[in-house]
Amino acid sequence: MELGKALAISAAGMDAQTTRLRVIAENLANQDTTGDTPGAAPYRRKTVEFANGLDRALGVDTVRVAGIDTDQSAFPLHYDPSHPAANAQGYVQLPNVNSFVELMDMREAERTYSANLTVMQATRSMLSRVIGMLK
Amino acid sequence: MDLLGGGLFDLAEKRLLWLDQRQQVVAQNIANADTPDYQARDLTPFRTLLAQSVAPVPLAAPQAGDLPGDPAQAVPIDTWRLPDGRAPDGNAVSMPAELTREAQTEDAQQLVTNLYEAYAGMVRTAIGKS
Repeated sequence: MELGKALAISAAGMDAQTTRLRVIAENLANQDTTGDTPGAAPYRRKTVEFANGLDRALGVDTVRVAGIDTDQSAFPLHYDPSHPAANAQGYVQLPNVNSFVELMDMREAERTYSANLTVMQATRSMLSRVIGMLK
Repeated sequence: MDLLGGGLFDLAEKRLLWLDQRQQVVAQNIANADTPDYQARDLTPFRTLLAQSVAPVPLAAPQAGDLPGDPAQAVPIDTWRLPDGRAPDGNAVSMPAELTREAQTEDAQQLVTNLYEAYAGMVRTAIGKS
């Protein structure tokens, strides 16, 4: 039944967006996490990578999380000699998390999630109409 | 009376199979709305497939362009839609366009199932069962 596959594809889409939201939550929760020894690196922002791949059990292409990477951009420096993570020059490395970027990403994840949900609801009503044909 | 409705049931079956596949392809496009370099795809239009599959005589052997009667056989996905615009990550799925296609698919399926039910009711009346 193709409609069953459509349901599974939408579910995979929602699953991928959920992973993305989890990573965004991690990033936002750690946006002030610095190191605790002099010169130690702070929290590095994580990113999610999506890929279109074959689901062997279903025999269809779905979306999946290809991996969780880290953002290699430079850490912003903040002058605070009294901080435990301050280096010899008195600078502290802050996490490379930008809350605006994370919030925009969150909105996008939410939007895609609800689009998948819309498709799922439509597929379900299509399924129930097909079942209604058995009457 | 021709209880098979001059192929009406057959046509409804083909149309439903096509719509099932369409829903799957649209679900795939929407699920991949944030996948880098993913390009939206679509099925060959039903009209085109139907024009190819009209047999000159009944019980003709299946032709190359026939719609699959077996759900395991997939309708070919041959249209890679030209992107309306690509996102910086190379993704070419337009969410409004996909949701419109999804709504069209659902409406068409509703039309077919309603027509089917109406016709099945007529057949039941004709054979004296209600």
